[in-house]
Amino acid sequence: MWCWGAGTDGQLALANPQDQHLPQPLPSLPPISQLACGGAHVIALTKPPNKPPQILTWGRGATGQLGHAHLLNSPSPTPLPLHSSAITISRVAAGWNHSAFLSHSGAVFTCGDGSFGQLGHGDFQSHSRPLQISSFGDKFAAHIACGMRHSLVLFRGGMRNSALACFSLSELGCCSVYGFGSGKRGQLGVSKDKVRGLFNVPQLTLGLDGLDATAVFANGDHSAVLTVDGHLYTWGRGFNGASDANLPRLLPSRLKFTQVALGWNHALLLTDEGEVYMLGGDRHGMLTDPQKPTLEQSSSIQSSPCQASSSNASESELERVPGLIGRKVVNIAAGAEHSALVTENGEVMTWGWGEHGQLGLGNTEDQRNPQVVEFGNKVDKYHNHYRVFCGSGFTFAVK
Amino acid sequence: MSYDDVEIEDMEWNEELGAFTYPCPCGDLFQITKEELKLGEEIARCPSCSLYITVIYNMDDFNDSNNTNNKGGLQPPISVA
Repeated sequence: MWCWGAGTDGQLALANPQDQHLPQPLPSLPPISQLACGGAHVIALTKPPNKPPQILTWGRGATGQLGHAHLLNSPSPTPLPLHSSAITISRVAAGWNHSAFLSHSGAVFTCGDGSFGQLGHGDFQSHSRPLQISSFGDKFAAHIACGMRHSLVLFRGGMRNSALACFSLSELGCCSVYGFGSGKRGQLGVSKDKVRGLFNVPQLTLGLDGLDATAVFANGDHSAVLTVDGHLYTWGRGFNGASDANLPRLLPSRLKFTQVALGWNHALLLTDEGEVYMLGGDRHGMLTDPQKPTLEQSSSIQSSPCQASSSNASESELERVPGLIGRKVVNIAAGAEHSALVTENGEVMTWGWGEHGQLGLGNTEDQRNPQVVEFGNKVDKYHNHYRVFCGSGFTFAVK
Repeated sequence: MSYDDVEIEDMEWNEELGAFTYPCPCGDLFQITKEELKLGEEIARCPSCSLYITVIYNMDDFNDSNNTNNKGGLQPPISVA
């Protein structure tokens, strides 16, 4: 397991909390099945041999997002005790300053900053220990996601009390998505009109009836859902300066998508052919280089009011990520303003904003095209692929 | 170039920092003080990186006569649930 990028809140789990421009090895953690990286905290779902899965959290804890009943930063991965030993967590999600946990039995727990209603408990309180969202009752939650100030929960049908063994994962038309937290940019998908309020109780996302969805995604003020047949719906903040989408919109494309990663202003899409496409890539890799002429162009487009009229998603806004010819990609991840991928040959590549070393290339420069990250000389490239995970300004590569 | 335009109502008042804040993609916070707002400053900077945002606000809201209760993003939220 390796990490790099912004580290001053302890999010890299290193003894020395500072930025790292090159991959740093992290020894002595149990095998990781999933990492969720937020604004400056990390939640790890581990699978120790012959033991039940365990959750570790570290990084910024100022609003209780680490779940340890305190408000302190912690650079040390610390096991999260759950209310009951009977609860087994199967998925974790991290927002800017909040966290969500999905249990095997389909219950959703949240903790951290609740000031926008993003914990879903019917108030605006923050919680420093995971608390179950009671309003879902016995509905079996299948997937979770956390954005900057909102959260999404996917239901695929089924009830928790009868769900464990015989729950069918292919009940067509039963899917629904619930969102809570800030909905100002349309990221909850609750109304065709712009909403100003905050929603502290889960609200049904409209316009997804009949979809067979596999996963929900959130980051920044973006939301997305991926369907079983590889279609992508997005809602929330518009890409490349387009107007916000208050309701989910199908991305018109003949491509079949298998993985999705959202940033604050871009989305990465992996196809079944191992190709990577990007939405909203106009400024990706250009944040700190004012010399580039297209930056000015991008600026003038964004402030132009007539841009709103071209808000319909079209295939033209989907761009193939350059510089990957001859490489098949197997895994993608997106930070707020940077991106990471893993190729079939085991290479880890990064591009985008690099000011905090989040690209792991040994410098703080931005990159427009994916660049290979070097892990030193002891990497067995062709065995056991890395998986990549990105927080706002940092990156993890895990075997 | 400004990273984003952010309305003051979307910023949070941070008592500890004495500033209105908004998340920066680096993980830290864009910050601007009431004093800066009173002077007409509209750039909120991040202490950890080179990025900054443009704050959209009405200067009149920060005149001495009526600014005592202005807490921006910490105004009582409207629940429409």
